[in-house]
Amino acid sequence: MSNAKTKKKRQIREGSFGLYAGFGMMGLLILAGLIVPLISKYDPNQPGLVPMSPPDGKTFFGTDLLGRDVFTRVFDAVFIDLGTALVGVSIPLIVGTIIGTLLGISKNKKINTLVGSIIDGINAFPFLIFVIALIAFIGPGVKSIILALSLVNWARYARIARTRAVVVNQQGYVEAARILGFSKVRILFKHIIPNVSSETRAYALSDFIIVIIAVAALSFLGMGSPPPQAEWGAMIRDGAQILTLAWWPTIFPGLALCWAGVSVAFIAEGLQRRLREVNTK
Amino acid sequence: MTQLPTDKKEAETKDRNRLALRRMFLGRIVRSLSVSFWVMVIAFLMIRLSPGDPVRIALGAEATEAAVTEMRHKLGLDTSIFSQFYHYFTGIFHGDLGMSFFSGLSVTNVVGTHLPVTLMIIGLSIGLGIILAIPIALFVALSKHQLATYLFRAFTSVSLALPGFFLALVGLLFFGTTLNWAPAAGYTGAFPGNLHFLWLPAVVNCGSLVPVLSRVLHSSLMDTLDEEFVETGVIRGVRKIRFYWSYMLRPSLAPTVVLLSYMVGVMIGGTVIMETIFSLPGIGRELITAVDSRDYPVVQGVVMIFGLIVVFFSFIGDLLGYLLDRRVTLS
Repeated sequence: MSNAKTKKKRQIREGSFGLYAGFGMMGLLILAGLIVPLISKYDPNQPGLVPMSPPDGKTFFGTDLLGRDVFTRVFDAVFIDLGTALVGVSIPLIVGTIIGTLLGISKNKKINTLVGSIIDGINAFPFLIFVIALIAFIGPGVKSIILALSLVNWARYARIARTRAVVVNQQGYVEAARILGFSKVRILFKHIIPNVSSETRAYALSDFIIVIIAVAALSFLGMGSPPPQAEWGAMIRDGAQILTLAWWPTIFPGLALCWAGVSVAFIAEGLQRRLREVNTK
Repeated sequence: MTQLPTDKKEAETKDRNRLALRRMFLGRIVRSLSVSFWVMVIAFLMIRLSPGDPVRIALGAEATEAAVTEMRHKLGLDTSIFSQFYHYFTGIFHGDLGMSFFSGLSVTNVVGTHLPVTLMIIGLSIGLGIILAIPIALFVALSKHQLATYLFRAFTSVSLALPGFFLALVGLLFFGTTLNWAPAAGYTGAFPGNLHFLWLPAVVNCGSLVPVLSRVLHSSLMDTLDEEFVETGVIRGVRKIRFYWSYMLRPSLAPTVVLLSYMVGVMIGGTVIMETIFSLPGIGRELITAVDSRDYPVVQGVVMIFGLIVVFFSFIGDLLGYLLDRRVTLS
């Protein structure tokens, strides 16, 4: 009995460790993204230093092909990279959850089958390929990336939400709210959606890792924001052309990207563990 | 001779099993066909997302009015949307996916030339992924130390959070220039020789494939370990290899196989980027080139083919999963 208790405690602590590590790493990155561009002596987009000079005491991460400071650029890119990914996850999360919930509780069979088929159809495409193809038609840029991500990903959230909404809709508390005579809108937003979204939000967190990487990958393929803007994927793309001559313009933005991905992974893992603990209690 | 009642019962269950299998098989086929249809519809409608006239954008600003009109007519874009879809839909069954805007080649031709390389990379990645994932999952599941599970979880979640295209570049820097083991260009197609070009892309793909596979396999192995028949195997002193295969892996494989078919789609995405980095003449590089030059029919055709491939593999995966473990309930 006491043994099981300490074991449980230890598991919670393990989960918390990942959580703290993840939040710590993410916090450091955001802090650096705020501070470095402010106090740096160099402009992130202004060439002027010796091109391709290796890292030293003055330019910590060296300079790129055009003679820009890689250190300043890496941290100048934090907000555009994380921000694009954040918006690119949030929109499909909200849209998908609402559409999926409505499908789950609606009794109209025709609409249900039709939208259900469209959702299955969208989900059948490989994620990255579909996003790339949509950007081909919409045109490149940050806004296009967000639009394409939303058009593709809402369907995944909708599928999860629909399955969950069917279950939630039959729960006692929803039935009780109905008997109490609450309006349909109130039941939907106060009782059903919060319980459906706990599932979609959990998925969103692991999706966030994929989307951070996808955003960088799309810029790497030349579908992101136009040139002077510092962005990890685009920096890696530029660096890759001179990879054999200078490794630093490629490796440092890549490490920043890995850092961001790993910190979210730790947060996701920690939260999942904690959730499991709470559920089994 | 009178039949024993148990035999009769057995025959009945067998019949019911066969019926259930047939029903599930038919249901899956119908579902796959309907999803395939929607894949075609979505691929067809995608071109309508482009702001403005796709033909004018593709031909460039300096194209004459006559050239635009002619191209529109050639593509059948001057007819109604329904007749366009009818043409497109019936064309697919004749192997006609349209013509490239620029090269003058048919899209079927482009796909036929470049798809084998892509499938080869995916096949290689999956083969390597299985070879790596099974021993890892077995080792962690059988290990008595708590630490092994902990490290396993930590390593897999870190590995999943690393971007493949960056790992590929690091690999290229290390193996390509320092050790000279992997060439960055100059692909030749003959089978054993091309492995020299394909091994590094496959290894990088495994960076995301192995964690997913081994995690799922590990968790189903843990479930299997709780079953009583495993204990029976230990008590009976079954030989090691037979024990690993029949008592542990075989009953645990179904979820992994279903997942593997799902991972084909993820692998396709990763492979497209690998092809661009290692300049391999696969369909993915063709897609990126088509995106850059706004060669819409090629983009449309390639995307649709990939969608259909994924539908096909998930059908096969579901079927295999069902055959491996009859307890799987199908949604």
